[in-house]
Amino acid sequence: MRKRIMVVDDSRLVRVQLEDVLEGTDYEVAAYCRSGEDAIEQYAAVKPDLVTMDIIMRGMDGLDAAEIILKNNPDARIVMVSSLAYGDTFDRAKAIGARGFVEKPFHQEQLVRVFGEALS
Amino acid sequence: MNTAMTKEGLAQILDQALQDVTERTAGVRLHQGDQPLGEDLCTVHITFDKGFSTSLTLCADTRLLSRMACNSFHEDEVTPEDLEEFSKEYLNVLCGKIAGAMFRATQVPAHFGPPTFYHGRYEPEGQEVQFVLTYSDEHSDGAQLIHHVPRAHEGGAAPNQG
Repeated sequence: MRKRIMVVDDSRLVRVQLEDVLEGTDYEVAAYCRSGEDAIEQYAAVKPDLVTMDIIMRGMDGLDAAEIILKNNPDARIVMVSSLAYGDTFDRAKAIGARGFVEKPFHQEQLVRVFGEALS
Repeated sequence: MNTAMTKEGLAQILDQALQDVTERTAGVRLHQGDQPLGEDLCTVHITFDKGFSTSLTLCADTRLLSRMACNSFHEDEVTPEDLEEFSKEYLNVLCGKIAGAMFRATQVPAHFGPPTFYHGRYEPEGQEVQFVLTYSDEHSDGAQLIHHVPRAHEGGAAPNQG
């Protein structure tokens, strides 16, 4: 059974790219949220195996949204998928409990490896 | 950007990031040149708000951005909304690449805000052009990546707040 991914990104293009890249893998996009607020609201209903979270979004940023989801759902597995993959951003993602970090633009091998590590 | 890096060094980082991101996200090869832009343009703009006080603007022929968006969405045509979505995400990823390279070179973390999209040209207020990188694709459609820095105040006078 394929693992269900909830994609959180304010760009629909990222959803399309993830669906492309995950085709033929053990992962499928089960839900798509355009904002951190939307992700917090939908998480309990979707119950995904893993969340991919963008950082730079209008409204609440992805780090704050991830922190709230993890506070409410300590078992949540969140991987940050962002263009801001270095320095203090990287450190904060690790500190709040994100299970991995994927830099945009991403590719299949990298995503599958990080997803696997996040779910192990 | 206001670091110890030279303008030439920064221009090289911008050029490498743009060529890499453009090919990987949109399957289009851009070459530096002096191709003038047409009249039907779109602009996307991002401001760096931590560590740096500059901005990057991508001004491009709408046909070029549309072609790149079609490739990314795997569509023959894109809606105006798709064109805006693509353009914003493209510049977002491009700026991430640039900020990462800047961090490796200077150890100064750069953060930037969400991109904004405009039809036509856009000139950010209170900033001036430091340099422009000009590109074209195989169809002779063009794009300009423009690095803006805060406008120098003439004679060192404080800006008029009134």
